[in-house]
Amino acid sequence: MQKLLPYLYIAPAFAVTIVFSFVSMGISLWASFYHYDAFAGAAAFAGLDNYRRALFADDSYFWLSLKNTAFYVLMSVVGVLLTALPLALLCQKAKRFQALFRTLYFLPSITPGVVLALVFYHLFGVWGQLLDNAWTALPALAVLGVWSGAGYNMVIFLAGLTEIPNHFYEAAEIDGANKWQQFRHVTVPLLRNTLVFVSVMTIIGSFQVFTSVYIMTEGGPERSTEVIAYTIFVNAFAIAGQMGYASALAWLLFAVVFVFVFVQMRVFRSRRIYDE
Amino acid sequence: MNNLSRKGSRWALVLMLLGAIIMVYPYAFMLGSSMKTRKEFVEDRSSLIPSRYQPSQILAAMRGEESALDWPGADWPVYQNYIDAVRYGQIDRYLANSFIYAVLITAAQLFFNVLAAYAFARMKFAGRDLLFSLLLATMMVPPAVLLVPNFMVVRDLGLVDTLWGILLPGFAGAFGVFLLRQAFMNIPAELEQAARIDGCGSWGILMNVILPLSKSALITLGLFTFMGSWNMFEWPLVVLSNQDYYPLTVGLSFFRAETSSDWPRIFAASAMGALPLIALFLLAQRYLVGGISLSGMKT
Repeated sequence: MQKLLPYLYIAPAFAVTIVFSFVSMGISLWASFYHYDAFAGAAAFAGLDNYRRALFADDSYFWLSLKNTAFYVLMSVVGVLLTALPLALLCQKAKRFQALFRTLYFLPSITPGVVLALVFYHLFGVWGQLLDNAWTALPALAVLGVWSGAGYNMVIFLAGLTEIPNHFYEAAEIDGANKWQQFRHVTVPLLRNTLVFVSVMTIIGSFQVFTSVYIMTEGGPERSTEVIAYTIFVNAFAIAGQMGYASALAWLLFAVVFVFVFVQMRVFRSRRIYDE
Repeated sequence: MNNLSRKGSRWALVLMLLGAIIMVYPYAFMLGSSMKTRKEFVEDRSSLIPSRYQPSQILAAMRGEESALDWPGADWPVYQNYIDAVRYGQIDRYLANSFIYAVLITAAQLFFNVLAAYAFARMKFAGRDLLFSLLLATMMVPPAVLLVPNFMVVRDLGLVDTLWGILLPGFAGAFGVFLLRQAFMNIPAELEQAARIDGCGSWGILMNVILPLSKSALITLGLFTFMGSWNMFEWPLVVLSNQDYYPLTVGLSFFRAETSSDWPRIFAASAMGALPLIALFLLAQRYLVGGISLSGMKT
């Protein structure tokens, strides 16, 4: 009994996490080789048809949605780095009101994405029909993403900044380095881990963007905001009998994201060791 | 502090204030719109104050001017849309659902993660490190990839459109086990030995030694889980079809489709959906901000 106790303790958590990751991925891998309906179940064996259809068929939106997603991810990462890091530097300087600013900038991170999307649906309308134009719709969605992620990442950067010992700056100042040179040669190199971490987390997060597309544009106009998570959703749940095809899409998405997830896991582990 | 850096910090303050306005503006827009009548919203979407409460209108009404006699403020109180959102959109029900889901998921997540983390941190057993690596590896599959696969599992279990279907996948998580294990390992082994000498079993040690000393990790994980569950959207959207089970997020999206263009009412519902977490955040932000700085992770 004593020997079994640890296994008993880990069993529930282990079962839930494994079933809703590896087991479900296994089932969907199997399903991706079938013509499969969400409610009727598997029908005929399809071989590689689903993958072929996703990658090569004329009516496939896989590449289009991947391209849109890539643009969205790029805009998000650049946007987050260009806002969160300067904000953290400013916030550090504004000593007295730091707590207040942190609270205000954090609000979007604790507001349901649906609420934010409903509000910005109108703000983008007021500011010039940004969502009705195929050129501006995707950037507008990225603006929402950056706006809502800036405060969260600012807090991470703030934590990174406080870890940099003050005497590095003092030494640089004695050497005659101006503010920009101090930023360039002290802050950036010593913040490298945090920079990589924030970038990778933002990439993985924005790869999965769904709520704002679902609420604000439904992939339009002219499929300019059709991102990969939305394509998968539509194929799996809005069109009947496409579960196998949607599974193939999910696996293709996994293949693309995996590179970044792999980097994330390395950073994640190294951060922990660094912290201890 | 020299002159230059004092000037610098004043500039920083100004810029941060500008940023704060950008951060708060959408919330002001939501609140302002939620008080408008439908007509006011259609005629003037961008103003933050409903036209019937513009200063000029109020002054005119106070002067008893002819044009202000049909001042609509009287028969359309500022909170009317909030009442209507509850009356016609069952927002109160969605709120209650969200609350129940978030509480159940948080309770289950804490309970099961604590058990697993305790075993991984404090017990020796065959295959421990391998099992722990496996558990960590589950974090490699992002939620968007898992949407369709997890739906198939829930469907195979016959749990589509049930409470269990929404809740079960959230009952435990690798990140939570990881975070708690980390906290548990920092507790000195001597305390555990002392408790053992006093006659505590492993359960007693967990309850009397480990948990009381890990309060902040438990609160952090609890808050993250609660907020994550409150905000979940895609998963309940695909699992549920019974409107009475909708959490707030899905309910809002449904309410919008249902009322088609009654935006003031939708914004009133949105404000009610955003408020509970903001209140929770204000009460407990110390733990949240600490937790992010510690792990940089969002569950």
